[in-house]
Order: sequence, then C-alpha cells, then structure tokens
Amino acid sequence: MVGSPVLFVAIPLLAAFIIPLAGMMWKNSVRVIPGLVLAFMFFLSISLMGYVNEHGTIVEVLAGWKPPIGINLVFSPFTGFLTTLMTFLGFIVWLYSYKFKRNVDFEPSMKYFMLLMLLVTGSVGIVLTGDIFNMFVFIEIVSISGYGLTSFYTRRDSAEAAFKFLFMGAIASTFLLIAIMIIYSQLGTLNIADIADKMPMMNHKLKVLSLVFFILAIGVEAEIFPLNGWAPDVYTEAPGPIGAAFAGIVVKAAIYASVRLVYTMYDFSGAFDLFIIIGLITFIMAETTALRQDQLKRMLAYSSIGQMGLVMIAFGIGTKEGVYAALFLMFNHAIIKSLLFFSGSYLVFNKKNKYIKHVNGMGKYLPITSVLFTIGAFAIIGLPPFAGFWSKLAILTAAADNKMVVLIAVILIISILEAVYYLRVVNRIYFYDKKEKTEPKKPSINALVAMISLGIIVLVIGFYPDLISGILDRAAADLMDKGNYIKDVLTLNK
Amino acid sequence: MKKVIVLISLGILGFYLIDIFLGIGFGVPHFTNGVKDLYLSNSKDTLKVSNVVTAIVVNFRGFDTLGEVTVLFLASTALGGILYKKRHHVGERSVLFPASQVVMSGAKLLFPSIVLLGAYVFIHGHLSPGGGFQGGTIIATGFLLMLLTYRNYSVSHNRLVYFESLAGILFVSIGLVGYFSKGSFLENVLPVGNMNELFSGGVIGIIYIAVGFKVAAELTGIIYTVLHEKD
Repeated sequence: MVGSPVLFVAIPLLAAFIIPLAGMMWKNSVRVIPGLVLAFMFFLSISLMGYVNEHGTIVEVLAGWKPPIGINLVFSPFTGFLTTLMTFLGFIVWLYSYKFKRNVDFEPSMKYFMLLMLLVTGSVGIVLTGDIFNMFVFIEIVSISGYGLTSFYTRRDSAEAAFKFLFMGAIASTFLLIAIMIIYSQLGTLNIADIADKMPMMNHKLKVLSLVFFILAIGVEAEIFPLNGWAPDVYTEAPGPIGAAFAGIVVKAAIYASVRLVYTMYDFSGAFDLFIIIGLITFIMAETTALRQDQLKRMLAYSSIGQMGLVMIAFGIGTKEGVYAALFLMFNHAIIKSLLFFSGSYLVFNKKNKYIKHVNGMGKYLPITSVLFTIGAFAIIGLPPFAGFWSKLAILTAAADNKMVVLIAVILIISILEAVYYLRVVNRIYFYDKKEKTEPKKPSINALVAMISLGIIVLVIGFYPDLISGILDRAAADLMDKGNYIKDVLTLNK
Repeated sequence: MKKVIVLISLGILGFYLIDIFLGIGFGVPHFTNGVKDLYLSNSKDTLKVSNVVTAIVVNFRGFDTLGEVTVLFLASTALGGILYKKRHHVGERSVLFPASQVVMSGAKLLFPSIVLLGAYVFIHGHLSPGGGFQGGTIIATGFLLMLLTYRNYSVSHNRLVYFESLAGILFVSIGLVGYFSKGSFLENVLPVGNMNELFSGGVIGIIYIAVGFKVAAELTGIIYTVLHEKD
C-alpha cells in the first residue's frame, strides 16, 4: 500500500494553504499545483483500489483514537469506486479548464482552481468518512466552494444564483445538524457503524423524524425534486466546467450520503419505497421541464436532475441488481454529462444567454466538438452501442426481476422525451444553417484532450461493458452487506 | 382561504415537531455506553488536558476542526475573490465621518490589550475556557476597532496571507508528523506533561495557537475586504 485514505484530505488541504504563498513567487503555480494534487489523488485511489481488491476494506483511524471515540475513514470497494470516479473527473475538469482565465488577473484564477480542488476534496471526504458529523463538515466545505464558484463571474444573475444556493444550503445545514443532534441525543455516538449497530434501540418516532431531516438536508445537494430550485440557475451561471463538476462530483457525493444513511444506518425497509417515489417524481418533473427549455445549459441541468432521479429509483429497488444498475448509471452519468457540458460550452461559446438555437450549423465549424456532443447525446438517451445503453438496460432488468411493470413503462416513456430534446439539439447542429456572423471559438488543445478522452471512455464502455462490471459488482455487494461494514469498523476496538 | 389552510397545516406540523422534540428529554441520561464517558476519562488520564471541550475539538475530533478551519479559509477566499474588483487602494476607504479624539486615543490604548487578551485566550485554550477560534476572533475585533477609528490605518494584505497560510501549513504538518511517526493523522507526538500546566496536552496547545493565528488573520482579512468595498 503506497498511502492511506487520509491523504485524500490532508494533501489537498496542505496544498490549499501553500497555494497563496506559492502564487506570490510563481503565478502559474496556482493552476499547476491543483492539477498535480488532483492527479495524485486519482493515482492514490487507483492503487488503493488494487489493495482493497486483494485484502478487503481499509478502515483508517484518525488521531490514534479507535472508533467510536475518534473519526475513521472507510475505503471499501463501494466508496473506493466513487472516490476513483470523482478524482478522475476532478482531474479531467482541471485539464479542461487549465487555460481558463489565463489572461486576466491573478486572484480570480487562484480562487477558481483552489475552490475546484477543495470541491473535489470535500466530495471525496463525504464518501470516505465514517462519521456523520465529519460528513457534515465536508458537506459544508463542498457547499461553500460551490457558492464561491457560482458567483465567480460577479454578474447580477450569478450573484442571484449563488444567493439562492446559499439560502437553500444554509437551511439544509441547519436541518442536517438537527438530525445529527437527534441521533446523538438518543444513541450517544456519531460513528455511522456504531449508530447502525445501536439503531434498533432508538425510539421509532425519533428515528423517522431524524431520517426526514436527513433526507431534507441532503436532498438539497442531491437535487431531488422539490429541493432543487437552485440547480438550474447554478448550472447556467457557473463557469462551464463547474457544471460538469457539480453533475459529476458533488451530486454523486450527496446521493452517496443518502444511500449510506438508508442502506447502512437506518433499518426500515419503507425508506426504499420513499426512494422510488422521490426518484420517480424527480425524474418525471425534470425530464418534462427539460423538454421546454430554450437555453442549452438549463436543458443539460434539468437532464442531469432527471438522471439523478433515475439513480434514486435504481437504489430504491433495493436488490443487488438495483444497486449495480444505480452505480453503473452514476458512472455513465458522470462521464457522459461532463462530456455534454464540456462540448456544449464550446458550441454556445461567447453567446448571450446561450440559447439552443445558437448551435445551428455548428457541425461544419466545430466538427470534433459536434461529434463528441452527439456521442454524449446518443449515450445519455441509451442508444446502443454507447455506454448509456448498458446502464439503462441494467435498471430495466433490475426492475423486471422485481415485477415492477409500471416502473419500467414510466422509465421507457420518459426516455422518449429525453430522446426528443437531445435529438432536437443534434438535429440543429447538423441540419440547420448557421445564421450569426460571430466566429465560433475553437477548443484549446487541453480541452480537446479532456473531451476526447471522455468520448473514448463512452465508446469503450459501450463495446466492452465487462471492463467495469466486475468493479461495479463488488461495489454493489459491499453496499448490500451492512453487517460487514459494521464489523469492519467496530472490530478495530480490540 | 389559502392562508388559513397554510396556517392549519403549519400548526399541525409544528404540534408534532414540538411533541417529538419534547420527547427527546434533554439532560436525561438515555444511554449507558455512549462515547461521553470515554471522552471524559481519556482527556483526564491519557491527554492530561483539563478543558475537555478543547480535548474533543482538537484531539479526538481534530479532523473536524481541520475541516472547520478550511471552511473559514474558503469563506474568506471566496469573499476576497468576489469583492476583489471593488477594492479601494491602500489608505483609501469609505469612512463616513472621522472618529473623535477620545475614540482615537482610547483605541490606541485598547488595541494592545485586546491583542494580548486574544493571545492569552488561545495560548491557554487547553487550560481554561476559550481556544483558537475565540482568541482569533478577539484579535480580529482589535483590528476592527483600529480600522473603524483611523481613516488611513491599513493592514498589509500580503502579511495576512503569510500568517494565514503558514498557520494552516503548521496545522496540517503537525497532522502529517503524527501520520508518519505514529501511523495515524493528527496523533499526539509530544509528551503530555502534567495536568493544569501550560506545557501539557502534547500537540493540542500548538494546534490551537496555529488556529488562533489563522482565524485572526482570516477574520481581519474579511473585515478589511468588506470595509474597503467601493459603492
């Protein structure tokens, strides 16, 4: 083992404190250091994944205090899979935006790269931690980086979006704290494994109330239906790559948090039905709203929310196949939606309001970007032979195994809507004439590398889904095995 | 009609919430095997720290504190980034009216003692109530007083960045020293000494001093940024 899970948090924080000093000496260090750190995190997670496959889950104690006294980090096949995915995407987002704000002042670019790095760090922290209060701290780190990145352009609209996000986020933090307080007042511990172990002792009324507060709080970050009012504004106003970071990294971490609560901490099965209901409402509302959007980024934002609804549905099925499908969907969504955000940003570059009609005829001017956008659009609809096909197939199979016929019908019908609004954009790219005089912006070389590597992943996974299914299978088995999680963490006590 | 329905449903919701909350029973011992007894006994016997809150915040749950320090750091970075275009030059500020002679002399007299009090609070964080966050805030109020009183009082932005970064680096480095020498991040590496002495509790005192400097520099930076905002 080359390192241990705590380095995922310690190294980025050390780098964050060094960057302001290093930036005074060499201005480019503010963009180079975060990239190095993100690359390091990605390689660390790959090497730890290798270790976990052979030796089983790593549980790391902090400050030398065994759980439940101290805080612990858990790197299991499930959390390791998400960590690898997040750090990879973090690195790709960094690569895509390396030349971002190159010619303007030093301070905004420092802020951008530092907040991006800490956004990834916070999300990884949410996934790795085994302690609910520590999870709260990381959610705070993610939210505050998010507010900062949303208001990056300091325009009127971005200030409004950031304020909306801030308001929702502040209420969510309060709710989260109330939920943690209720749990602590009853069980006297904050460690997730310890709580899961003692959960049957808790008063039923308080159990339900704390779960409601948890879901309300985490639902804001996870963009579930009535709590996602901030999301489309934030995706529209934040810099293009940050949309990808939100869809691919932050929302995944929030979904992880809610799944960890329902699968591991709480012991009632009704919560799974709640997941299906919330997921269905989110899915239907978001996809129908996406159909009516005329701005490209807003459409992508609503589509992203819809996909998250689908992930919730898959987790709500509650079987191992369902979890497998959900993880596959999360993986695909992270890769494909990032590809769509990246290429979409170039298709409507420098246009006011970024309307969908601005992509008219771009197929001639930006051939590679257009092809990549088309691959992403086909993949997210679920057309074979792209990666999205396998995850949609997996969720339908999982639903069919449980005889949820209505669910299958709804997913298929809504998928048609999805096809309509994505194919509409593709149609405009290739079969419409470009009307405006403005010259389209050619993607820079680093952005092109980032987009093409994502495109290649979509195609490779589409042709060889077996490359990833083993990892997903182990991750799903790990999440389903609640007893093992509790045992892994608590038997350190000996 | 709408308002009535909203009021009634809010009332029902409120009734149930209060009903459940009253059932929590604060102050009543619910659990026998919680972590609180372990915290109490370990901070007295193992760490020799008389302020249990400090022991919990800096050692048992030191990782959370590192996270909270980062949250503050992020907040000041984000604010600096948002307002940076609107900053006045050093020495210019939008003060509405100058302070009177009494306030000026008083502020000059009070400033050193405020800073001294802040330093006292964070240096003695493991012995008496208070700690890095509180001490740092006290020092920042001293700077606030000076900034409000003197029109041309200015704090070097670079110097604040030095303090902020070095204190943060110190915190993480102490953690990494524990990681590399004892195998666990933020683990105590120094001798714990005797209870109720200044040099006790191992790394807790040093971490709280670092946190004190960091919080003082960050809050001063935030105050400075906001005070220097153009209209």
